[in-house]
Amino acid sequence: MLRRELNELLTQTGPGTPMGELFRQYWIPALLAEELPEDDCAPVRVKILSERLIAFRDSHGRYGLMDEFCAHRGASLWFGRNEEGGLRCSYHGWKYDVTGQCVEVPSEPENSTFCANVKLTSYPLVRIGDILWTHLGDPARRPEPPEYEFIHVSPEQVYTSKRWQESNWLQALEGGIDSSHVTWLHSGALKSDPLFKGARGNQYNVNDLKPFFEVAEADGGLFVGARRNAEDGNYYWRITPWIMPSFTLVPPRGDHPVHGHFWVPIDDENCWVYTWDYHPTRPLTGAERSAMMAGFGVHSENIPGTYRPVQNKDNDYLMDREAQRRGEHYSGVKGIAIQDASLQESMGPVVDRTKERLVPADSGIIKARQKLRKAALALRDAGTTPPGVDPAHHRVRSAAVVLPREESFLEACADAVRATAGVPHATI
Amino acid sequence: MSRPILLNSCARAATAAEARFRIDRPIAPSRGTRVVALDRGAEAVVRDVAGHPWATARFFTCPPAAVLGRRDGDLADVALLGTDGTRSRLSDELDGADAAVMVATSDDGAGAARAIGDACTMRAIMTAGLVLAGGHAAGATVSALRPHARVLLVTYDENDVSEILTALRA
Repeated sequence: MLRRELNELLTQTGPGTPMGELFRQYWIPALLAEELPEDDCAPVRVKILSERLIAFRDSHGRYGLMDEFCAHRGASLWFGRNEEGGLRCSYHGWKYDVTGQCVEVPSEPENSTFCANVKLTSYPLVRIGDILWTHLGDPARRPEPPEYEFIHVSPEQVYTSKRWQESNWLQALEGGIDSSHVTWLHSGALKSDPLFKGARGNQYNVNDLKPFFEVAEADGGLFVGARRNAEDGNYYWRITPWIMPSFTLVPPRGDHPVHGHFWVPIDDENCWVYTWDYHPTRPLTGAERSAMMAGFGVHSENIPGTYRPVQNKDNDYLMDREAQRRGEHYSGVKGIAIQDASLQESMGPVVDRTKERLVPADSGIIKARQKLRKAALALRDAGTTPPGVDPAHHRVRSAAVVLPREESFLEACADAVRATAGVPHATI
Repeated sequence: MSRPILLNSCARAATAAEARFRIDRPIAPSRGTRVVALDRGAEAVVRDVAGHPWATARFFTCPPAAVLGRRDGDLADVALLGTDGTRSRLSDELDGADAAVMVATSDDGAGAARAIGDACTMRAIMTAGLVLAGGHAAGATVSALRPHARVLLVTYDENDVSEILTALRA
């Protein structure tokens, strides 16, 4: 349960809000690189953290992210012409470079200096891995670029997708921290999904439906350990890292690639879910990549030309009651991503946390909310840099291991949860 | 096959406007949370938290030699000292409880943790452990609680005791 004012504090991310300012301390995904595939390609409307922006790639391969609307009369630059090193408004021809600087106002006399005083708000846009990252905060506090492992492996080792989720970012993130729902909602995937099935660790999940949980502090956020009984009195541990504000990694299964998410608020009622699969030590196989593109694993099958899932709230997520009865899909909804989305969207755009009934198994969610709240208020009141800004905090891994009962999962897995290039991940 | 035709009978009803039609009734507090400080270090924290307003939660410390001997086939009981000074036994306090929260700063309370864990398992009562690491290595404390707490939170922040209890509507 959260008081209403705390729920609002955590869920509102527009400019000037405490959580919005917190998000503006981090490099966050703005687009997939595939959305701006070539120089002078079509510009893309981008809305993140309740700011409407336009992204484009100019004639020289430079990326720009700036106010969507022309400084002249407020027309959308999405209708603009991306040509000759800038984006020109179609209405009266005002032209902007990738920094938002107006470089041409055709109605002004030649050699006029008028445009020198016209600059749209702009943000950096840099490609790292398959993602174009931005930082919407104070340039003086801009951190070093992100160092998550999945954006630094070779392109053959990673696949990244995104989808629109029609809910506030926090209830989506909380699904990523809440390991206990996997036993139920995603139980069918362990048997059938090509990116999950076949791992030895799956048997531990199936054989022990009441895991114990341990939540431990990390420099950048939390580690959530779920343990189940294994053979010979050992425990099977699945370790999920959460790095603030909204990065999580799913514990691996066998030699399957590792799944992860980054949730980015679009506004207070919608978010982007960036999803990737990567393997730390080998290229993805053709079959794996095909499965991901088809929406298996944690990806979604999207309506062509969009990032809206084919299964969405307009078609009841293509609920299949027969598949539910057969046990193929526990909820009747196909696919892990949409199983999550369907339930998280059903809670409403911003779930009313004053009415929830949490239980001790939700301790990871409770602790994450507390860390977000404390960080947002410390930033507001004292300018304290929040956890997860330092790129060193990004170098984490998820892990799945069997340990003797007396072992602490974090002490035993200190190396396993640290990303080290070329070193295999700890998985069963 | 029937298809929904009304807005409120399909997933599109997940709007803020439709949320107005959700049943809005007061939520009952949890049936009862018992919070037990397992060692001296945890006592001060639990006493402090006990001073906040709570719905039905009760707060206890374990006096010296709190674990009462077990007879063959019986579970051990624990002598508890309420933060209001009343004395009681764990076996009585667990009547009507739905969660037991153990708070520890060291492994001194390992015996009590085991007795509480066993008693809760027998009664199907949820157990949670909060290990206040406070800058020192918490490995031994975590090991002591791990077998007896279904959920374990290792934290540097004493406020987590009150945070967890608030979230649980204790």
